[in-house]
Parts: sequence; structure tokens; C-alpha cells
Amino acid sequence: MRVSFTVNGRRHEADDVWEGESLLFVLRERLGLPGSKNACEQGECGSCTVRLDGEVVCACLVAAGQAQGREVRTVEGLADGAGPPGGLAPIQQAFVDAGAVQCGFCTPGLLVTADALLERQPSPSDADIREALSGNLCRCTGYEKILDAVRLAAARSAAGAAPTAPGPEAPPAPRSEPEPGE
Amino acid sequence: MDILRTPTDLAQRGHGGVGESASRPDGVLKVTGEFAYASDLWARDMLWGHTLRSPHAHAEIVSVDTTEALSVPGVHAVLTHADLPAATHYGLEIPDQPVLAGDVVRYHGEPVALVAADHPETARRAAARIRVEYAELPLVTDESTATAPGAPVLHPNRSDHYADRVPHPNVVHHQPVRRGDLAAAKARAEVVVTGEYELGMQDQAPLGPESGLAVPAEDGGVDLYVATQWLHVDREQLAPVLGLPRELVRLTLSGVGGAFGAREDLSMQAHACLLALRTGRPVKMVYSRDESFVGHVHRHPARLRYEHGATRDGRLVYVRGRIVLDGGAYASSSPAVVGNAASLGLGPYVCDTVDIEALALYTNNPPCGAMRGFGAVQACFAYESQMDRLAAELGMDPVSLRQLNAMSQGATMPTGQPVDAPAPVAELLRLVRDRPLPPPRQWETAVGTGTGFDLRALPGGLSNTTRGEGVVRGVGYAVGIKNVGFSEGYDDYSTARVRLEVVNGEPVVLVHTAMAEVGQGGVTVQAQIARTELGVAKVVLHPADTRVGSAGSTSASRQTYMTGGAVRNTCLLVREEVLRLGRERLGDTHPGWRGDGLWLRDGAVVTAGGEVLADLAQVLGDDVIDLEREFRHRPTEPLDPENGQGFGHVQYSFCAHRAVVEVDAELGLVKVVELAAAQDVGRAMNPQAVVGQIHGGSVQGLGLAVMEEIVVADGARVRNPSFTDYLIPTILDTPTMPVDVLELADEHAPYGLRGIGEAPTLSSTPAVVAAIRAATGLALRRVPVRPEHLTGT
Amino acid sequence: MRTLRYQRPEGVEAAVSAVNATPGARYLGGGTNLVDLMKLGVETPDLLVDVSGLPHHDIEELPGGGVRIGAAVRNSDLAADPLVRTRYPVVSQALLAGASDQLRNVATVGGNLLQRTRCLYFQDAGKPCNKRAPGTGCPAIEGVHRNLAILGASPHCVATHPSDLAVALAALDAQVLVEGGTGPREIPLTELHRLPGDRPERDTVLEHGDLITHVRLPAAPEAVNSAYRKARDRASFAFALSSVGAALEVRDGLVHRVRLALGGVAPKPWRARAAEERLRGAPATPEAFTRAVEAELSVAEPLRDNAFKVPLTRHLAVRVLCDLAGRAGGPR
Repeated sequence: MRVSFTVNGRRHEADDVWEGESLLFVLRERLGLPGSKNACEQGECGSCTVRLDGEVVCACLVAAGQAQGREVRTVEGLADGAGPPGGLAPIQQAFVDAGAVQCGFCTPGLLVTADALLERQPSPSDADIREALSGNLCRCTGYEKILDAVRLAAARSAAGAAPTAPGPEAPPAPRSEPEPGE
Repeated sequence: MDILRTPTDLAQRGHGGVGESASRPDGVLKVTGEFAYASDLWARDMLWGHTLRSPHAHAEIVSVDTTEALSVPGVHAVLTHADLPAATHYGLEIPDQPVLAGDVVRYHGEPVALVAADHPETARRAAARIRVEYAELPLVTDESTATAPGAPVLHPNRSDHYADRVPHPNVVHHQPVRRGDLAAAKARAEVVVTGEYELGMQDQAPLGPESGLAVPAEDGGVDLYVATQWLHVDREQLAPVLGLPRELVRLTLSGVGGAFGAREDLSMQAHACLLALRTGRPVKMVYSRDESFVGHVHRHPARLRYEHGATRDGRLVYVRGRIVLDGGAYASSSPAVVGNAASLGLGPYVCDTVDIEALALYTNNPPCGAMRGFGAVQACFAYESQMDRLAAELGMDPVSLRQLNAMSQGATMPTGQPVDAPAPVAELLRLVRDRPLPPPRQWETAVGTGTGFDLRALPGGLSNTTRGEGVVRGVGYAVGIKNVGFSEGYDDYSTARVRLEVVNGEPVVLVHTAMAEVGQGGVTVQAQIARTELGVAKVVLHPADTRVGSAGSTSASRQTYMTGGAVRNTCLLVREEVLRLGRERLGDTHPGWRGDGLWLRDGAVVTAGGEVLADLAQVLGDDVIDLEREFRHRPTEPLDPENGQGFGHVQYSFCAHRAVVEVDAELGLVKVVELAAAQDVGRAMNPQAVVGQIHGGSVQGLGLAVMEEIVVADGARVRNPSFTDYLIPTILDTPTMPVDVLELADEHAPYGLRGIGEAPTLSSTPAVVAAIRAATGLALRRVPVRPEHLTGT
Repeated sequence: MRTLRYQRPEGVEAAVSAVNATPGARYLGGGTNLVDLMKLGVETPDLLVDVSGLPHHDIEELPGGGVRIGAAVRNSDLAADPLVRTRYPVVSQALLAGASDQLRNVATVGGNLLQRTRCLYFQDAGKPCNKRAPGTGCPAIEGVHRNLAILGASPHCVATHPSDLAVALAALDAQVLVEGGTGPREIPLTELHRLPGDRPERDTVLEHGDLITHVRLPAAPEAVNSAYRKARDRASFAFALSSVGAALEVRDGLVHRVRLALGGVAPKPWRARAAEERLRGAPATPEAFTRAVEAELSVAEPLRDNAFKVPLTRHLAVRVLCDLAGRAGGPR
């Protein structure tokens, strides 16, 4: 079948897609975008995390046909609009600076997840960061420097964004244990 | 041939020398998704390879019929044992492992046949159509079944050099370490504690699956782009299997998604090459996660029995130990694992009388080999558990007991080897003990929820299992000792090629080694060394490949020492050549050229006092200095087969941990609240990367303590080959990890550095378990500790 | 290449008739379970009928206080819905206790209810399993089963149902709205899933072609005071060893209304009716809660390696009830 959708703002079409292929396979093997990683391909590690119409999802469990007509953002598009061409998004720069990258295989998925977190919650607590990243496995770092990186990106954007008033935001979704009104 | 996304040079300008937290030269590529991992490779017209694996752990192969598979449209080749062109077996040390099983399969998941097809799904489906008839054979799965009278011998007609020294043909290797007069020591002991301990089978679980691309070459050879830990040892094993001279088997390292020992043995390398040579097309193989879990070796599960004798005031009088490691179906690194377990089995302590034996079995369980800290991890869990038991028996503080018996520089190992470098064991323990404890009941003070407490700080985490009821805190300590580098007389060397030239007026250093960068940051350190020794801002790292000499393995905590040493060594020779050329060409222009202590800084030759004599451009002109040299550590010697005596190890590495846990004793759930570490690193070549290694190693030890185990059941079959069923810690399971780093130089090593990667994996596990014991009062002899072990049901 | 077709039907009727016409057809919701099972070779459909685009995305308040939830509503949206969070916190908590953000953002309500067991033998297409390949046997009974059923199993199957949401819905007496070949019908959630008996291959009472379109939560004032707790092997992103969903209303120190369901312990979400029965009118005390839960668990038949789940479940359930009693102002 033919599948067409937008990746990082660009329209892509893939032909001869087998109906059993995942969005991840199409991105990696048909569209030449291998940044999203294939660590488990079972939705158990988060290394293939992409934004699908804005939401973080495991691309490995999205059937290719379900991406039809939708907007996908991958690690390759994180820096788009975040500064000069070829530059890094703040979260990418923070991962490099904080030493959050070792083998790097979990990194693209963590970056996409962390970027989404900071978008909806610019100053997360440590527990918020841990909760938001708990669907992304890392085997090298023990997560400490990943936590550092997210803190660093948040702090930098707070410092940088201070002069301009933030725009209106949607109320945050519950992140854990919603309580009844007490 | 179009090959996309092959590894590229890593170029960096001016980012820190030795001792600075320079950033990774591959960091930007890794955060933008452009870094080419082995599973990202692509070639025009490439085929996909797939492996058919044995569903049985021990069976005769009665027949194999590939007809149906070959008839599947899109299939280009199906290979079985009968199709192997040359050598049929391989192995790191003992070539006992079939490339594809012949008459018999010895473990669940053993490769039996290969398929190459134009789509991975086609290859998978075709493999399912290969008809293999098996006749199951009796299993050996542990010491009692492997060494029982009449037990099936898994490898009859052994010719390896351990064969005539082992107590049973199903024992791969056996190493005693004996020192002192045991009978006399037993008579002196006032207190004796004995214990039996067990460790389950841990998996390295690197996130990058086994992957590679084999491309047939016009000269009849093959180019293999692969994720591995040691290119040259792969080639040593591949060339005989492919029936090709070594020079026609060319390997290039592709991006490696973690290793931790899992990539020390061959996995898909020979298979992809065989398929590529057969089809004449590039062949890509990428393991799925479940295949990865059976497609690489694991950490040896172990049973250990220890007996510690001490005086009433807490001095160790004797230590006896018996360490039985399950090596599974093939030898892999079992001999070295045995050597480590035996020689390090006392721990970082002083004791004149030691009687420890270690052995590894051949069984029908999955093959076990290298994983971070091998041999030493298993022993450390047992001897540290024993130290706690001894402390309890003596009524002593567990840290004080350890400090009382701690080794220091000048001590003698149970192998008779003198410890001739700093061994600050007592100090490391002091550092972790003296840290303030994390505040109690943090769930009540955690911010951000507005509800007065934060579930995420409690055992059970987001699962909402407790609001603090039934939660008990415990604190535990442990310390460990690990050898660095390949031991027991192995000729362990690394090679570095360094090229210096001036390009467009700017001096540029190219560093070319075969070191496998698996995430540890060796590439960062290489660039730092080149900058420091050659005073050049721009450093280019050539992709690792077999066009340069071997770098040895990225294992045994050895690459910063060995390939770092090789880069430094070659850089110094390049510098000598620069100075020679400078003296020859410009020596008359300034008296400084005749002085000693000239060095390179900021692209110039400077005097010892820092006066600039000439730019490198002036000295070199259009000349290129390009040297390749080997580097060796000081030699070691084999351990005596009877008593284990000998100068066996290159260097020792020490780390201590303090774990603070909170346990929901009623439900059996554990939260590690803090895991503090202190480690002597000799010299922190890159402080940020050093701490990253300590964090990562600590969490792998934590995983072994409370959740990680390959379940082998139902006739020695792997039962949990997925990240849903083999759990590794998430960021919510991982505590804050403060780290103290000591830098006590080892004068034998380049820059005084110490290999660091493995030591933190050792003591983390026993520290966490000690803390759980402290919280619950349970004995806990086995890891991983699961909820049912804490609730007593 | 194996033939596999993919369709996005225009409406419910087209979807149902497409599946009805093809024995090997499967509905595709979020795909988080089905796509995985296809990779494992456990599911080998000929046709995927994608129902994620059908108009079942709404959460509507019903007259009388109930809520109707579209089957295509994503787990994350349902968990965040203000109405659900306020009136049925147990639903929201159950959803957030499962999987990861990445999966909840895709997984649907309908798919969640129909996910297959995580039994290791079911997941391994090369092994015997009565649920996957009827008549081949159940190796789990003698094999690896520490996370399998202690209640409701049979000699043919000891698998557990993996859904957290379904446990909450079972406690709330949710109704499942189904569209089949013969018009719409309602099935109580507690009767949607089957016990295995000698037909473990049938997880539910649904027939081929039946499509879940909605879930209806009836009004339940006591559900305002409800909660979900789950014990698992790590702090997040793992299936339950045991879980409890409960709602409680206490009047004058006595249990007035109670709802209790257990997860991770049975082949279906386990409504603890025996415990509820004992609790109604009983003092809201830990002792009474313990006795009631023990009565429910008295019929448990643990396997060799999962007896720990009995006290685990008891402790969890008593904790939830105590917690809810405390919050309701009753005696602790």
C-alpha cells in the first residue's frame, strides 16, 4: 500500500509498504530516517518515541496505515525552528553538555519525550521528570545525567525565556494519582 | 555499491585535554539522530538475513529440509551446517561453538539455519518453513546433573588446554587458589560463619540489538560493518569460518548501542558474511529483542559457599570458598571468569590463609560469558554478604569490620601477587559512610503534588501501593575489587595510528585505532590525549576498523588504559618526530631547540619554559607524520593450576557503595532511596565520563539485586526474552547517586589512571541487598530479591 | 510476503461487515497489543480493520449521573478527563498505573479491554498453549507461573487478564456497548471476559465481528471515593502482580456501599462479590476489611510459585479499603 504523512514538516510518501509494517519500520527503512531507534520494537523501551500529532508514542507499535495523513516529528526534526539551521534544540544541547549520552541508543527517544515534557511543563520537579521519562529505558547512564540534562534545559529556557511573557497554556494533564477533591 | 550511513570521521576542534570534562566527539551526531548505528545501515539491493534457532536445549538433529523455505518468493538463500564452506566452529578461546548446529543442538536458541530474503518478514516466514526434525536428548542443567555418573558429556573429545586438568569433562575450567596453612588457621579461628549464596542469570540487555551489514567485495572478500567489542578477534574467528585469508575479511565498527560484554562473542557476524558471500548481495541482519536475549551470552549464574573464620576482635583468619559458575553450552569466556572469581574471591581484604576454588560447568543452559565485572560480581555478592554475617556474629559495625581487614598498598593477594599500587579500601568505605543520610520519609516532603506526599518517593512508586504504612528503612555497605585488563599471561596490547599534518595552515591530528566505542567514551579520551600530547586543537577520529592493528577488547575496564596508552605512546613518538624535524630544519634559528623538555602547545613547539619556537606549519610544511605503534601493559603470568599462585593481574580497581533502601515489608516492594559510591580512578581522564560510568555500573548492580534475571525453565529454555518480562530499572527505580572520586595515581599506568568501568557493578548489588536485610531482618541468600522473598510466602 | 490487507472503514456498519465477511480479520484500535502480537507471530490476521477513526472519541455525561465513553478514546485522554477524575478516580488511577505515556497516548478503551494475556507461553508462538493453540496443553501449570492466576483458573489455562482499566470498570459495574451483525447490545463488563474452563481460547463472550463501541459507567455516588492500587516488580511500566480497585461509602461507621475488584490474579477482572457481601453493613474497620477479603480469597488455588499473591492481594485490598474509609471520615 501507499502511505503518506508529514515528517518534521515535510510531506513523505512510501510505496509498497507491507500492511504489517510499523511506522518505525517505514521511517527507518523506507524514508531514510533511522534516528528513531529499534531497541525492542515491542513498546517496552521507548527508544522509538516520536510525536504523532503532537503526542509521544512508540512508533514501533503504530501500524503504518495508521500514520496516513498525520504529522510525525522525530529526533531529526527536534531542532527545527529552535535556532539557526544545523543548530541543536535546547534539550539536545543539554544532553551533550550534561554527559547524558553514552552509547546513545536510547537518546533519540528520551529527547523526544523530554522535549514534550518541557513543552507542557517548563519547570518540572525531579519527580515529574522521572515520571515523564519512565517509559524510556536507558542501560548506560543510570539516568542521573539524563535528569541533569532535563534540569539544565529547563533552567536555561527559564533564564532565556524570562524577559518574554509565556503564552497561554492548556492546563497540564494529570501526571500521577489524581486525587478526588478533599 | 551504494552504501549509506557507514561510519564517518569524528572531527572536533579544541574541546579539552586530559583531566577535563570534554564533550563527546560523537555527541552531536547522537542527539540529532544522525549517528550511524549498526542497525541503521543500508545498501542498495541489500537482503535481510534471519536465523532459525533450536526450540530445544539438547537434541539430535535428525534431518533438515529446506525445500519449502527456498520456494518462498523473495528468498535468495537458505544455509545449513552442510553449506558451511570451511571451519565449522568458532570461539573466543576454545573453538567449541558451531557456526550452525550440525548433528546436535546444545542450548535453546542455538542457530540451526539461515535465510536471506528481500524483506525481513519474508526471511522470518521462510525460516519457519525449514523442516527440522529433532530427537531430544537428556539435559544437564547444574553441577549435580552435569557431573553425575553417566551424565551426557556435552563436548566429548575435548582437546583444549584445560581438558586434562578438569575434574569432569563437563567442567570447562577449574582454578583453585590456595595460600597458608588451613588446618592451623582453623584452629586459631574464634568465630566461624558459613553461608551459601546464589545469583540468577543476568543479561547485559544493551539497547542496541545485534546488527550488521555484510557486503561482498569484488576481490572475493567481504566487508562487514558491525557492532562489536573487538573487531580483530571477530576477524580471527571469521576468516577460518569463511575460508578466506584474514586480509580479505575487513571489519569496520558501526555505531554500537551498548555492549557490557554481550558483544564479545560472535553473534550475527559469520551468518551475515556467509549469506552475503553466497548471494553476492549485501546482507543486513538485525536481531529482534527476543532473539537478542538468546543470541548473546549472559552473566554466569552462580552458587557459592563460603566459610569465614575470624578472631573475636574481628581479624580474618581464614576464608574458604567454592564458586560454581554455570557456563552453559559453550566455553565462551568461562575460563577467564573462573580465573577472576578464584583470584578475587577473597575480596579487597587481607587474609593469610585462603582456600578458594572456582569452576565453570558445561550445561545445556544458555551460554554464559562476558558481562561487566565477570567472576568478580558473583564473588563480591557472596563475600560481602559473609562480611555482614561475620559483623553480626561479632557484634561489630559492618563498616568497621571491613576497614579492619581492608587491604592497602603493599598487601599480598591470595595469589601471592603484591598489591603495588594504591588500594584505598578503608578510605572508600569511610567516604560513603560519612555522607549524611538522605532525610527520612521523603514522600512527605516531596514537592510538586500539592497533596502532602509524593507516591513517586515510595516503594511501589506510581503503583500507589502505600502511603507510607509498613515502610521500613535499611542501610547497607559493600566494597569490591576488580582486575583491569586481560590477565594470566595474555599478550594484551593495543595499537594506535596517529597522523599529524598541516591542512590550510591548521595542524590536524588524525587518530586511528580499532577500539570499539560502545558508549564508554573512549573516543572522547582519545581526542583529549591527542590534544594534550600534540598541542593541537583539531582532532579527527578515524572510524575503527581492521586496517589498523588490534586495539584489543572493549572489556575488562581496559580501553582507557590500553588504547588510551597506545594513543599517548604514539603521540609521544609523533612529537619526537616533530622535534627531530624541527631541530633539523630550524635548529639554528634559536638556541631553545637544543634544550630538553620541548613540547607542543597551541599548534606550536614551545620550550620547557613556554617560549614559542615555531609553529607546526613551519616545522612540517607539507610533510605528514604518520605512525602506527603497539602498546603493552606490564606482563602478567598464568596462575598455577594447583594453587593459583602467580602475578596474574595487571591492575586492581576498587569501589565502595552505601545503599539506603525503603522496604514495604508487607508487600515486599523495595525502593532504593540513595546509592552512594566512592571509587579510586587513579586519574579522572574525563571527570564527567568517570561519574557516568560509576552511575551506569551501579544501576546494573541494582538491577541484579532486585529485578533482573533470565528465567531458564521447562527444559533449559529461556522464558522471558522481552523487556516486559526481563525487567531492567527505569528512571523511577533509580535513586540519586552521589559519587566520590579519588585520584591516587598508579605509577604503572598511563597518566596514573585506573580502569573504572566494572568496579561499580560489583559492590552495588551486595550493598542494596545488605540494606534490604537491614530493613527486614531476612537472610536473603539469592539475587534478584523479589517481593515473594520479602513476604516469606 | 504473506497477504495482509488494511482498511479504514467509513462507519460502524462497514467495519462490522468487513470483519464479519473475513474469518481472519481483526479490529485495530491503537495497535499497542495487536501490532506486538503480530510481530511475535501470535496473531496472523489477513485483514486489519482500523476502527480508531470511527466516531467513538467522546466522553459524554449521561442523564442521571453516568458517563458514556467512546471505545476509541485514548487511555491518556480518559485518565485526564475531569468528569472521570472527579466521579470515578479509580478509572483514572488504573489507567495511569498501566504502561507508559507513549502507550497510553495510543491505546484505546476498546483495545484495552480486549488485550491478550501476558502469559509467557501465550506470547511464544513456538510453545504449547491452550489459549493460543487449543488442545496443545498448558505448560504454565508446571512451568513459569509466578505472575499467573490464583483465582478462576482451570486445568486448561492459568493465564491472567492484563488490563488495569478493566479492573476499575468491573468494580463500577460498567456496561459494554457492542455492535455486532444483529444490532447493538449491552454486556456487563463483569460478564465480558470468560473464565477459561475448557475453552481458554475464548477470552470474552464476544463473537467474531462484534465491535465494542462504548463503555457506559452507571452513576455510582460512592465512586467519588474510589482508588486503584497495583503491586508490580518495578516502580513503573510493568504488569500487575496484583491490583485492587475499590469504592467505599461509610455511614455512621458502617459500610454503606462498597465495590471491590481484583486484577492480576485471575483470567478476568475479578469482582470480589463475596467480600462486598460481607462488608455491607459491617463496621468499616481493618479487621472487618481483612475478614471480608480473606473470605474472597478463601477460594484461591495458588500454583507452586504464586502463593505469595494471596497475602499480597489481601494486604493491598485491606490498605485500599482502610484508606478509603479514612478519607470518608469513618473509623480507621
